[in-house]
Amino acid sequence: MFVLSFLVRRLAQGALIVFLVTLLIFTLLRVVPGDPVRLMAGGMAPEALIEQIAKDMGLRDPILVQFGRYMGGVVRGDLGQSFVRPASGASTGGSSFGDSTRGERAEVLTLIGETLPMTLQLGGLAILFALVFSFLVGIPGGLAPGRWPDRVAFYISSIFISLPNFWLGIVLAMLLSVQLGWLPAIGYGGFAYTILPAIVLAVELAPVLIRTLTGSVAGVMMEPFIAVGNVRGLSRSRIIVAHALRNASVPLLNLIGIQISGLLGGVLVVEFIFDYPGLGLLTITAVLQRDFPLIQGIAIVTSAIFVFINIAVDLIATMIDPRLEY
Amino acid sequence: MSVTETDIPVIPVPTQRGASVARRIWRIALASNEFRVGAIIFTVLVLAALLYPELSGIDPTKMSVATRLHAPPFMGDKWSWTAPLGTDQIGRDMLVRSLVGLRYSLFIGLSTVVLMLIIGCSLGTVAGYYGGRVDMVIMRLTDAQLSIPMIILAITVLGVSRPTIPAIILVLGLSSWPVYARVTRSVVMTERKREYVRAAEIYGASDFRIMVRLLAPLVLPPIIFVSALDVARMMIFESILGFIGLGVQPPTPTFGNIIADGRKYLLNAWWIATMPGVFLCLCLTSINLMGASLERARNRIYGGKS
Repeated sequence: MFVLSFLVRRLAQGALIVFLVTLLIFTLLRVVPGDPVRLMAGGMAPEALIEQIAKDMGLRDPILVQFGRYMGGVVRGDLGQSFVRPASGASTGGSSFGDSTRGERAEVLTLIGETLPMTLQLGGLAILFALVFSFLVGIPGGLAPGRWPDRVAFYISSIFISLPNFWLGIVLAMLLSVQLGWLPAIGYGGFAYTILPAIVLAVELAPVLIRTLTGSVAGVMMEPFIAVGNVRGLSRSRIIVAHALRNASVPLLNLIGIQISGLLGGVLVVEFIFDYPGLGLLTITAVLQRDFPLIQGIAIVTSAIFVFINIAVDLIATMIDPRLEY
Repeated sequence: MSVTETDIPVIPVPTQRGASVARRIWRIALASNEFRVGAIIFTVLVLAALLYPELSGIDPTKMSVATRLHAPPFMGDKWSWTAPLGTDQIGRDMLVRSLVGLRYSLFIGLSTVVLMLIIGCSLGTVAGYYGGRVDMVIMRLTDAQLSIPMIILAITVLGVSRPTIPAIILVLGLSSWPVYARVTRSVVMTERKREYVRAAEIYGASDFRIMVRLLAPLVLPPIIFVSALDVARMMIFESILGFIGLGVQPPTPTFGNIIADGRKYLLNAWWIATMPGVFLCLCLTSINLMGASLERARNRIYGGKS
């Protein structure tokens, strides 16, 4: 019963957030200069034709009317069609625009559906790498506050957080794939292509995780129940794994939920560098092509994912630590 | 680096006047080796960025076919002492270009954080002070903004408009204030229930006066200290924008556009893409070392988690 009311409340809040995100992006795209029709029809198209196309597509209606029409589609699960991408794949544009081609343009939902699994694979692997690494560095740091493992953790996180992802990507691609030939880097041709981008993303994620883990482990180790564990004759490793880590993992979990949105930003850049065919690459090309429906669709989907992950994180957190209430 | 905008520090209620707290944070941070290491690197870099391009008299945009693709000393077949970091594909000096890039990067990073602080802290103060409907609206706005990766927001706007320096500052600042709004709000909310605020109300002080004269000096210093970390983050974003081609436009050298340029020559002139990155990393590491030391000092004072 408790879980149910929690879910209902959070889902309602989530729907509101997704709605606001949509409104924000929608308005932003229409307020900021830059006419997508001009791009679609090509620079040579006469002004009258452009006006005609824009009117046909409803782009000259008041923003609120456009928004209403768009949301009407969204609630029926229709995110519209891409402005520039045909269903076959390559982008159209130039002078080939005509009403007859409209039906062949790709569905936004299909485009997102094709790229999202790739990005989830990349993101999942990156989180895994980041967690393993931060446990290796962060736990010793938290167990020895003020001493060298703690300093090492501090320096590592400070340096990692200072590595710009695009630069790190270039340098790693040069070293690991061009010089040493260990890993493939550009494009996608199998699981191995995910590893290098995932390492770059993991380096980006790790610092905050390391710092949180160090802090929360250090905090938990000062709790009375750790001392009681000693008195009860539990081994140090058992105390650390069963008591300290369990309690220290709640802040970490919350953080991962929050970091998902940051991860999406990183994914964008990393996919762009490695030419990895995921949601991030799709976003960048959509923005550069002023593909309004696609940008809006991506914003809706990513914010919905963000909302769901945070609900899931809170649910799991209450399972780990029943004292928490939401 | 981290692209998260939501690493929200939890600040328990401050119990002392802001100024004295600020002084104590400063003193604790200053005593740590990490802070000193950061401060030394940072000072050297900033001095170099301010002085070297002027003193050497080398124009960062001057092309010279004779000196094109020189490697750093001892690192290749062709090199000279005058270009310690080599030259790029059209003979421009990499050291000067990197240092000028550092100027832009620092300037944009600092201005952006100032803008974020102004917007975030004022909205946060207003939300925390008035509560109720005002609070609701502002907080939902921050929720919505926190759930869009700010980089998407930034490239959306800059992709469709012209990326000038003020536009970049505005976009980065406008898309990452929510963290500050949240933190400020939470502190102001607890703080405004205290007796001295009530006393000021009874004396007839206006809301504005209470917020600006009483609450701001108390609430802001710890937040401002930790915002040093955001300067580094914003510098990274600026370079990302430049790399994608949505930052300050060439011929003005910025880290992003130099690295994007050098990427094409990676196989025969590795230094073009890597050297500016080394500078950027050094500078960011120094800022992060200082910022993280300040953050740690603040957490120690407030007894929060680090």
